[in-house]
Amino acid sequence: MTAKISLRDVTKQFTVRPGKGSKASTAGTAGTSGAKEPTTLTALDSLSLDVHDGEFLTLVGPSGSGKTTLLDLLAGLSTPTSGEVLVDGQPVTGPGKDRAVVFQQYALFPWRTASANVSIGLEGRGTDGRKLNRRERAAKASEYLKLVGLAGFEDRFPHELSGGMKQRVAIARSLAYEPDVLLMDEPFAALDAQTREQLQDELLRIWRATGKTIVFITHGIDEAVYLGQRVAVLSARPGRLKEIVDVDIPDRDGEDDIRSHPAFVEQRHKVWTLLHDEVRLAQDAGHRKILPDGTAPDEVPGTTLERSAA
Amino acid sequence: MTTTLAQQPAASAALKQAPAVGHSGPAEAGRRSTTAILAFLRTAAASAGSGLWKAAGIIAFLALWELGPTYLASPSTRVFLPPLHEVLAAWGKLFESGSIQTHLAASLTRSVSGFGAALVAGVSLGLLIAWYGRLNAVLNPLLELFRNTAALALLPVFTLLLGIGEESKISIVAYAAFFPVLLNTIAGVKTVDPLLIRAAKSLGLSSLALFRKVILPSAVPTIFTGIRMAGTASILVLIAAEMVGAKAGLGYLIVNAQSSFLIPDMYAGILTVSLLGLAVNFLLVALERHFSRWRTAVGSGS
Repeated sequence: MTAKISLRDVTKQFTVRPGKGSKASTAGTAGTSGAKEPTTLTALDSLSLDVHDGEFLTLVGPSGSGKTTLLDLLAGLSTPTSGEVLVDGQPVTGPGKDRAVVFQQYALFPWRTASANVSIGLEGRGTDGRKLNRRERAAKASEYLKLVGLAGFEDRFPHELSGGMKQRVAIARSLAYEPDVLLMDEPFAALDAQTREQLQDELLRIWRATGKTIVFITHGIDEAVYLGQRVAVLSARPGRLKEIVDVDIPDRDGEDDIRSHPAFVEQRHKVWTLLHDEVRLAQDAGHRKILPDGTAPDEVPGTTLERSAA
Repeated sequence: MTTTLAQQPAASAALKQAPAVGHSGPAEAGRRSTTAILAFLRTAAASAGSGLWKAAGIIAFLALWELGPTYLASPSTRVFLPPLHEVLAAWGKLFESGSIQTHLAASLTRSVSGFGAALVAGVSLGLLIAWYGRLNAVLNPLLELFRNTAALALLPVFTLLLGIGEESKISIVAYAAFFPVLLNTIAGVKTVDPLLIRAAKSLGLSSLALFRKVILPSAVPTIFTGIRMAGTASILVLIAAEMVGAKAGLGYLIVNAQSSFLIPDMYAGILTVSLLGLAVNFLLVALERHFSRWRTAVGSGS
């Protein structure tokens, strides 16, 4: 199999501006950083990872292990501090039509109907340099809304849809301009358990039908093992690749409840054990999420420096 | 409330007979039009009901205005506060002679030109300032200074520089309307959900497309709030400016009537001003609602 996406020694560092409440904590690290000097935070540390063409890879890691950072790099929304991000052998220089992102909070444009949301990616010039007219775009939007099970909801505004439906629209939007790679950042985390399971199955169906390469970030170990062909486990900050677990469950397409299959249980436990230590490490260090703009409001600078030096 | 309840059964009873009468058309179409009519009557009845409640305060006020001066006020006060019917009669006379139209037209021309200029300048400059952070850093202190200088305080300056003609009045209206539009445009652009910008970027939108398809539509409701505030401000300043020095306009009508001791005429002018203000606000609210339809369930949505 060829590598669709490959990350080579990717390191991403953020310059964190000290938050308002961090005055007291900087006292402990006097000497290494002044009261108002920005500190450097390593989110990802020389991470190398290959994703095969057509593969469904899930990515788990404790909070602050740089999962979203990794996804931003893949999407081209940010650039690595060092190392290379390659898609089809070409370095990623920015967002592109070959990759699509599905966000946890749906990120639908509230002033556009479901159909208009789906077709926003089609409004520019396509890969063949041709512009679709309004009717062609609407037809394509309907086609993809149907694929995600939302036929007949074309004219609804996002506020008229439930969370699960919004996420379906978001998935349809990212599929509509036919990218090769689907990058999903905890897309089902905000949904209730039943809707989540339903959407997981739908996603698997869509994946099989379309043959996309999917990189799926999640908090849930069950979800990671259920969806992924491989599960990549990241370490606590700074994020490194801890291990890749191959998920091998016989007769996946069967009618049985896969989640109670012995192979599923075993592999779930394996991922759980790998993740468990890292979660504790992350909690002890008080790692929090880095916001997209590079700030980490809850971050205690001292602990980060120690950890990255180690 | 009682009217609503009483009218609804009556409306539906009337409609039950409708299909029997109009039997010629297809049943489907008949049913659809019946429900349409029913829905229309229901909303009409409902709005009539709630409209009655809303009108109660106004009616009480008008009644007080009509009866108060005659029965409660002393004769000397009555001269300065004529009852409603006298004011209305004066208004009718002014309308017949065409003078109220002339004044209204003069005021409208000034406020529309000033307001329009402010709108164009405020929105475009606001977008520029919000888009280029450096520009904001330079202009913000200056804008704060000007914004906090009451527009009317600058009226003498405008008059000295531009004379007592139309230019000075249009300019001061534009000045007063400019800041609410400008500041709300900046705020609207700055408060765009960063997630939406990330999503748009990941969809491969160019900066121009990002601006046109994401930032602008998302800022529209905030911009319209500014426009509505500007509408109120422009009328306020216009009337004041016309009171100080003008040969036509509603402000001039009011002051001139007062100094000529035509008290009912003065009230007729005031009444016209408040109706104009109401109309402008109604129009702007309707526009705002039209452009923020998607926002109906903010709070509960997303």
